[in-house]
Amino acid sequence: MSDIPKIHSIKKTDKDTLLKWYRLLFLGRTLDEKAPNYLKQAIGWSYHAPAAGHDGIQLAIGQVFDRSKDHLFPYYRDLVTNVSAGLTAEEIIYNGISKDADVAGGGRHMSNHFAKPEWNIHNVSSCTGNHTLHAVGVARAIKTYDSKGVAISSQGESSVSEGYVYEAINGASKEQLPVIFVFQDNGYGISVPKKDQTANRKVAHNFEGFKHLRIMYCNGKDVFDSMNTMLEASKWAEENQKPVIVHANCVRIHSHSNSDRHELYRDDNELGYVKEYDPLAKYKRLLIRYNRATEEELSAIEAEVADEVKVAHRKGMAAPHPTPESAMDYVIPEPYVSTKYPDGTHNHEGESLKLIQGLNETLKAEFRNNPDTYLWGQDIANKDKGGIFNVSKGMQQEFGKKRVFNAPIAEDFIMGTANGMVRFNKNIRVVVEGAEFADYFWPAMEQFVETTHEYWRTKGQFSPNITVRLASGGYIGGGLYHSQNIEAALTTFPGVRVVYPSFADDAAGLLRTSMRSEGMTVFMEPKALYNAPKAATPIPEDFEVPFGKARIRREGSDLSIFTYGNTTHMCLEAAEKLEKEGFGNVEVVDLRSLLPLDNETILASVKKTSRALVVHEDKVFAGFGGEVASLINSEGFEYLDAPVRRVGSTFTPVGFNRTLEAAILPNTDKIFEAAKDLLSY
Amino acid sequence: MKDTGIFYSFRSVKTGQQVKKILKLLGSDNVTAVDIDVATGEDFMKFTNYVLAVPTWFDGELPTYWDEFLPSIEDESLKGKNFAIFGGGDQKGYPENFVDGIGLMAEFLEERGGKIVGFTSTDGYTFEGSKAKRGDQFVGLALDIENQAALSNERIDAWVKSLTKEFA
Ligand SMILES: Cc1cc2nc3c(=O)[nH]c(=O)nc-3n(C[C@H](O)[C@H](O)[C@H](O)COP(=O)(O)O)c2cc1C
Ligand SMILES: Cc1ncc(C[n+]2csc(CCOP(=O)(O)OP(=O)(O)O)c2C)c(N)n1
Repeated sequence: MSDIPKIHSIKKTDKDTLLKWYRLLFLGRTLDEKAPNYLKQAIGWSYHAPAAGHDGIQLAIGQVFDRSKDHLFPYYRDLVTNVSAGLTAEEIIYNGISKDADVAGGGRHMSNHFAKPEWNIHNVSSCTGNHTLHAVGVARAIKTYDSKGVAISSQGESSVSEGYVYEAINGASKEQLPVIFVFQDNGYGISVPKKDQTANRKVAHNFEGFKHLRIMYCNGKDVFDSMNTMLEASKWAEENQKPVIVHANCVRIHSHSNSDRHELYRDDNELGYVKEYDPLAKYKRLLIRYNRATEEELSAIEAEVADEVKVAHRKGMAAPHPTPESAMDYVIPEPYVSTKYPDGTHNHEGESLKLIQGLNETLKAEFRNNPDTYLWGQDIANKDKGGIFNVSKGMQQEFGKKRVFNAPIAEDFIMGTANGMVRFNKNIRVVVEGAEFADYFWPAMEQFVETTHEYWRTKGQFSPNITVRLASGGYIGGGLYHSQNIEAALTTFPGVRVVYPSFADDAAGLLRTSMRSEGMTVFMEPKALYNAPKAATPIPEDFEVPFGKARIRREGSDLSIFTYGNTTHMCLEAAEKLEKEGFGNVEVVDLRSLLPLDNETILASVKKTSRALVVHEDKVFAGFGGEVASLINSEGFEYLDAPVRRVGSTFTPVGFNRTLEAAILPNTDKIFEAAKDLLSY
Repeated sequence: MKDTGIFYSFRSVKTGQQVKKILKLLGSDNVTAVDIDVATGEDFMKFTNYVLAVPTWFDGELPTYWDEFLPSIEDESLKGKNFAIFGGGDQKGYPENFVDGIGLMAEFLEERGGKIVGFTSTDGYTFEGSKAKRGDQFVGLALDIENQAALSNERIDAWVKSLTKEFA
């Protein structure tokens, strides 16, 4: 009949196991039913997506999950999964009412998002299904390190519509990774019936053409069918090192969540039969019908569970809330500290290296330094080519295809699997070419945002140790999609560092620091300068540049220009010209690091010169320079003899025609004029 | 005709009405109706001829009452017994799993030596996939009151007639 071995059945499974399952199911149900009371009493648990109706598959996921080797990514409806995996009633309640003792992350994340990172039960997003990419990433690590175990991701059937779920399954199929995607199919995404999501009634059918992928269908309302299926899925995925989809038929007995009213879109008949198909009631009937347990035995378990929940409730109520001050903790982990180059400057003399060489050699040096480093991106390596700009040239030859490899054209996948892979082990450092051009990073924004949340949301339990490299900016005649600067959009997110060097030495030093630090750093590379002689500098072999340290590239006394990336060179040229033509002596400060920003150096410079011009390549309007100008206005107002001005792109995309490009982007002349104006203000 | 048992859930509404018609046509001699919700294995094993009412639920599943009952007979031999299966299905709403339940039940019974009787033609139905389909026949009778209610009576008539020939 089915190719899934019938290991468990109501007649075969031993009694202790049957009773243990009953206990877990009943505990799960008791907590699931108790959750709304906390909201009614205004205590908390204001988001509750009931698990009732999904009990069979959830019990099975939790039972099959082995925390000594597996990684579990449960979703917001997985209360029973978590209980079955070992979370206690107390832990469930701490999360439900968002107490500091919540093991998922101290009440920082929304309620009903149960997790225990310490056990590899990962704390996942509310962004439906985006943890599929994390499961694939960690499965890649399981395979890379020849480790045992599988990654298990769980979600509803409707969220499979998300493009990144397809990216995740495509990647798992291509790379042949031991990952199980569980779809808990209750027929709805909130009020939307599944026919509005995809043409096949069972969304798993959509994946039948994917190679190396096994698809299993089971009755998620049935404990035995679910157990047998999950056992086979886990065994098969681990033995064959290949992915599995488990499509589990469930019912949603209640509303989607406490803010939904399902009686507005489900008729009485339906409300009746979903209750009739309650998996817990079915399991209980089976135990009695086949004389595997007596009513008395089950009542005794129920009484025990009731007591346990009472005690947990009392503890939960007494437990403290997180303190207001703690909100600022765990925004981003402490970076690597440079003892040799505390200011990120050097006096090294020697041959000048181009920016691209600085990057290439630093990448190689760090790969030699740490065997747990990985690099992937869209066009990262093929024989003599190393990335579309050749930044990663020679790396695959030296470090092999396990450490340096191409990814599909799926930026969210590139970013999301980085987030996933680094979960495997704290020594792992991943460098991704986030996109071939920064312009194509937008599809990855979802995972970028996600990754900025991790450290804070887990209260410091998970730090995504990733460097995201992005070839940025214009001046190459690249038009709208090969010229963008996206730092303004990225720096609004707490939980990431953003650097944008303009010289080879700073690029090398910042890259080294990024790759040695915990947490995520976005490393923007001014691609127009990769091979530019003006950006070439001598670079000490072990150079390091700390984050949040600007570099004064030209000392001056009459005006400070704050800049980064491509425009640093233009500012330096303008400064030379201004001095030569007698307009004044201009200081040029290369910010290097935008987040964190070196407030101290900025303010000290303004104090010295009393005039400030902020210059960057990106659009002036809503550009990052607004932050710098605002800092000067609020903290350095007293030093100023003139308004803070800004130079950058026009508020348009960057045109392809060279005349348009020149009209849009800033250049030395525009900077010269603005500086001249300010000097005479 | 030897002893015939007709098994269905006494709580089911649509199926219950279909059973009533079938009972009438079979005549009540030697025909016993049994409630699958409470039946034991022993109750089941008593007969030579069977009519099983198996509608399909939840995208291709057996109704839970059948699912809960089947372990009672999973270790039995059903050799020498004749099984006629019918059940409701909805070919428009569930075209990928139309009357799967009939097929699931047939498979279970055949694995234990039971003989399936009462095959019917798939002509006149429109669907994409069915576990009940073998060649151009269903391994039982498909009744679709959601989309083809008007055809049910004649389908039942013809089917019951064929059973009286096939039953021992
Ligand atoms: C939730 C639900 C799921 C169903 N799934 C299927 C199905 O997969 N295949 C099918 O042919 N009919 C399906 N049906 C249609 C029923 O089989 C049909 O309505 C039948 O007449 C029900 O009989 P009953 O109410 O006596 O159980 C489904 C009906 C419901 C309510
Ligand atoms: C990316 C994203 N889009 C929309 C939502 C809002 N949302 C929350 S739950 C949900 C329905 C998901 O349905 P399904 O995946 O079937 O899981 P179920 O809740 O039914 O178990 C939606 C649309 C979200 N959380 N994330």
